[in-house]
Amino acid sequence: MLISFSICSTMLHDLLQGTDTGGLFIIQDSGSCSGRRLLWSFIKAALNRTEAVHVLSFEVSEDELKDGLKGSPIERLHFHNAYSDPLAWTGSATFTVDQFCVEKVTKLIKQTSQVKTAILAIDSLSWILRHISPSAVCKTLQQLKNGGCVANVIGLLHSDMHSRGTVGSLCHLATSLITVKAVLRGDQAMITKRLKSGKVLQGEEVFTIKDDLTVIGQGKPSRSEPQEQMCISNMADPTANLTFNLRLSESQREAKEKLALPFVFSKEKKAALLHTGSGRIVYEPDANDDYDQEDPDDDLDV
Amino acid sequence: MAASVNDTCKQSVERTSLNPTSFQKKTRNKLLSIPGTRLSVQNGQLLVSTGVTSLDYVLGGGLAVGTVLLIEEDRYDSYTRMILKYFLAEGVVCQHELFIAAAQDHPNDIFQELPDPILDDVVMHKPADQPRLSSEPHGNLDAMKIAWRYQNLPKVQSGLASSSRFGHYYDVSKTMEPEIRQAAKCHHFYLPEHPRQSSATRSPVLDSYAALLKSIEEVIRREGFSVAAPLTKSRNILRIGLHSLGSPLWGDDLCCQDNPKHSHALTTFLYGLRALLRSSLSVAVVTVPSHLIQSRSLRGSITRLCDNAIALESFKGSERETGPLCKDYHGLLHVRQVPHLNCLTSQLPDHKDLAFKLKRKQFSIERLHLPPDLSETVSRVSRADAAGAAALASACDSGNKHLDF
Repeated sequence: MLISFSICSTMLHDLLQGTDTGGLFIIQDSGSCSGRRLLWSFIKAALNRTEAVHVLSFEVSEDELKDGLKGSPIERLHFHNAYSDPLAWTGSATFTVDQFCVEKVTKLIKQTSQVKTAILAIDSLSWILRHISPSAVCKTLQQLKNGGCVANVIGLLHSDMHSRGTVGSLCHLATSLITVKAVLRGDQAMITKRLKSGKVLQGEEVFTIKDDLTVIGQGKPSRSEPQEQMCISNMADPTANLTFNLRLSESQREAKEKLALPFVFSKEKKAALLHTGSGRIVYEPDANDDYDQEDPDDDLDV
Repeated sequence: MAASVNDTCKQSVERTSLNPTSFQKKTRNKLLSIPGTRLSVQNGQLLVSTGVTSLDYVLGGGLAVGTVLLIEEDRYDSYTRMILKYFLAEGVVCQHELFIAAAQDHPNDIFQELPDPILDDVVMHKPADQPRLSSEPHGNLDAMKIAWRYQNLPKVQSGLASSSRFGHYYDVSKTMEPEIRQAAKCHHFYLPEHPRQSSATRSPVLDSYAALLKSIEEVIRREGFSVAAPLTKSRNILRIGLHSLGSPLWGDDLCCQDNPKHSHALTTFLYGLRALLRSSLSVAVVTVPSHLIQSRSLRGSITRLCDNAIALESFKGSERETGPLCKDYHGLLHVRQVPHLNCLTSQLPDHKDLAFKLKRKQFSIERLHLPPDLSETVSRVSRADAAGAAALASACDSGNKHLDF
C-alpha cells in the first residue's frame, strides 16, 4: 500500500479496512452524487478480507452488481434478490420488503452461509422506508447490529427522499455516518464516527473511486484556502513603516517601570493607610463642649 | 459523605434536645435519615444529588425527591449519557436503589459503564487547591500592571459550587468496581426483552410506554417506595434513569414524522410518571433526543411536563468548536425550566450563559466568559476584527489593515 495516501485519507480507509464489529454504517447520498460505488467499495474490501457479504438489493440487479465487482472474489457474495419482485406480486421473490425484520433476515443469513463474520449490505434503506414505518426500520437495524448474526451492517440512504426527521432518526443510530456530495475534484465524504466510549470523531475528505473500486484519497477539502489567505492579510504588520517610534529600548522600559503612576494603589500605600493606629478614638474636648449630662439642652433658652 | 450527612443530622438533633427553650425546629427526622439526601435551604424539599456538583448548584441545590429532570440530548448523545451515568453512580454510592430503562442498549451495559467514584480524600483537597490556584495568578499580578480602578474588584469565579459538599466526584476514565456495583440493587427494563401484551384497545406506541410505567409502578409498590406505604423498614430512595425516551426504538414516531400520529404517547407517559413520583420516594432523570423531534410545540409540552429541564448543546461538529469563546468548553448548557415546588416563584439560576466541559475527573458546568487575552501583540480591536472576519469570511482588503495617517 502507498503510505503517502493512507496518511491523507486515514478515516475513510480505516472504515474500509474496519475490523470492528457491531457497527452500523450509513452512507448518505443525494440525487447529485451517488454513494453506490462507495458501498460497492465497502463490499469489495470485505470480500478481500475473506468475509461473507450478504446484499439485500432492492435497486440493483444481480448482473449489474457482479459486473461492478469484477475482479474480486465473489464466491462469498450472497445476493438476495429483492430487485425483480420486491412486493411479491408475481410470487417469485426470494426476498420482499415485508420480510425486513430481524427473524427473517437472520434466518436468511444463517441459511446461506456458515462463515463467522458476515456483513450485511442494504441497497437501499430508502426503498424499505417507502414501505415500512421508520420506527420499525430503526428497530430492525438496531437488533441486527446488536444481534451478533452479522458483524456489520452497511446501508445506503438517499437522504433527499425522506423527511428530515426520518433521516435524523436513522443517522442517530449509525455508528459511522458517511455523507457524500459532489465537489470539483471528485466526491467529498463527511465522516462522523462514534466510538463506544461516547467520543465522536469527525473528518472531511475528498476521494475518487477508480474503475476497480479502490478508493483514492485526495486529502482534505480545500475549504481552508480562503482562511489561509485571511491569515496572510492579518499577518501584514501595521507598525512596519511608521513615522514615529512605538518601541522601547531596554533602558527606556526600565525607566518607565520605575515611574510611580498617580492613583495607583500600591501594596505599601494600602498597608500604610490600613495600619495607621490601633483604631482608638481620641477625643479632645474644647471650650464649647457641653459636659452637663443632666441637662443636655442647657444651651437652648427654654 | 453519607456518613457525614448522618453525623451532622445527629448533631443537630442533639443540639435541639439540649436546647432549654420549648422551641423545636420542625424537621422530619424520618426522612433525614436517608443517606445521600439533604433538605433544601430554600423550600425545605428533600434533595438528592445528581452526581454532578455544579449541576446541583444550577438546579438550586439538587434534585427534589419526587420530581423529574428532563435532559434534552446533545446531538451524539455522549454528554447526556454521561450525566445519566453520573446520576446512577451517585445512587450506587449512596446505596439508593436504581431503575434503568432503555431501548437502545441493554440497561446492564449502562450499569456496567458507571464511572468510578473517588471515595478517598483526594478530592477533599479541592477546596484547599483553589486558594493555591488563585494565588498563582496573584504572583503574576505583581508583574502585570492593571488599571487602578479594577485592582480591587473580586475575581470572577467561573466554576459553580455551593459552600457545602454534596455528592461525589467520579473518574470517567475508570469504571466502577464490580463489588461496589454488586451491592446496589438495580431493576432493569429493556424494551426488546419485555413481553408484549398487545392489547387491542391501545396503540402499540402507548403499549411500550404503558409497560414501562407499569413496571416502575410495580417496583415502587413492591419495594415500599410509596409515601403511603407502612413504615416497616428504613426508607430509601429509588433513582429512575430512562434513556432516550421518544426515540424510534421505543416504537415512537415523534422523531420521524412532522405530524406524528401518536403525538400524545410520550406526554401521556410523562404525565403518569410525574403523578407516580409525586407520591413516592423516587426521583427520575429522563433523556429525550429532542433535536430529532420536528414539532416545536411538542418539544414545549414535553418540557412543561417535567419539573426540571435542561438541554445540552455539544460543540462537536459545529463551527463553534474552534471559536475563541468556546474552545475551552465542550458545549453549552441551557436551563429550560426550573421547578416550582409548593410555591409560585422559583429559584432562578443567577447566570444564563452556562457552558460545560468534561474533564477526566469532573464534569463541570461553568459560567461562560472570554478567557483573558494575555498575549502582548493582540490588541482588543484587532482581536474583534479577526473574530468578525472569521465569522463573516468576508473579503476584507489587506490595504485597510495598514495604519494610515
